[in-house]
Amino acid sequence: MIAEETLVDQLKQKKTQQKAFEVLINTYKERLYWHVRRIVVDHDDTDDVLQNTFIKVYRNIDGFKGNSKLYSWMYRIATNEALTFLKIKSKKLGVSSEELQIKIVANLQADVYFEGDQIQLKLQKAIASLPEKQKLVFNMKYFEELKYDEISDILDTSVGALKASYHLASKKIEAYLKAD
Amino acid sequence: MKEQDKQKGFKTPKGYFEGFTDKLLHNIDKEASSMPKEDGFRVPDNYFEKLSREILQKLDQQETKVKVLHPYRKYYYAAASIAAILVLVITLQFNKGEGITFEDLANSDIESYFDNNELGLTSYELAEVLAINELEISDILETQLNEENIIDYLDDNIDDFEELNLENDELQ
Repeated sequence: MIAEETLVDQLKQKKTQQKAFEVLINTYKERLYWHVRRIVVDHDDTDDVLQNTFIKVYRNIDGFKGNSKLYSWMYRIATNEALTFLKIKSKKLGVSSEELQIKIVANLQADVYFEGDQIQLKLQKAIASLPEKQKLVFNMKYFEELKYDEISDILDTSVGALKASYHLASKKIEAYLKAD
Repeated sequence: MKEQDKQKGFKTPKGYFEGFTDKLLHNIDKEASSMPKEDGFRVPDNYFEKLSREILQKLDQQETKVKVLHPYRKYYYAAASIAAILVLVITLQFNKGEGITFEDLANSDIESYFDNNELGLTSYELAEVLAINELEISDILETQLNEENIIDYLDDNIDDFEELNLENDELQ
């Protein structure tokens, strides 16, 4: 795999930009896709958000100062894009963000790109009922298996606070899954 | 002594205590796995293979849009700019002092702008800009609060209302 600094350098130079961008997409597309998908849930919406994320990365690469890792920077852009997308969607539909979450999970059963069983569906319902931050932390830790240090870098939250959020989220989900 | 007495007559299967920890941990794992590790989402066939091409095409399209196709166009722009400046100067000459300022915006327009546009500012960022110290509660609330309202609110929302009366009691 190409070193991050080299890739950033290549992305900043006109001559190597295009090729490097292709490498960047191929390296991160799957990880970022699943990250966004777990936030916005629907595949087509994820596709839109993901494409916009990469385009933003391309356009703003000169602004990347290397204070954080490239992937944390990209994850941060993807997270912001996904959350903004949901906010705009709820405004368009004239519903609160909580109502939107319920709507999204309700659509899941009819979604051709969801083939989870009843327990997996229930798990998604449980996750949808969490507050935004807990949801992000839970998905990043449980499904994406990121380290607390990495999540801390992406969400700009202390490791201690993340552990507390994850603990609370897991407890709520367990309780939700055990109920009825 | 008692411990030894208990053991008399009872036996455990061979290797019971050696395997105990493993078995227990395994059972705990099994209980925890009521939470599925897979989320059930899938993607259309070949989605990831096509993705890079799609993004690159999108970028290309966006970049072609800003390409200058007709070099002579810039003269049109120059002519249009000059004309626009002339119109502006003439208009300003005739309407001196009647420019639109921020004050001319209706409050409802400003509110609806904030409602409909994503500001992208967190409450902390807003707090940095707003001079909270210079604000009075009456700047935010349209209805004036009287003492009775406040007491009613506290009475409804505070568990032990009596606690708040402490100072009064002391005064009496």
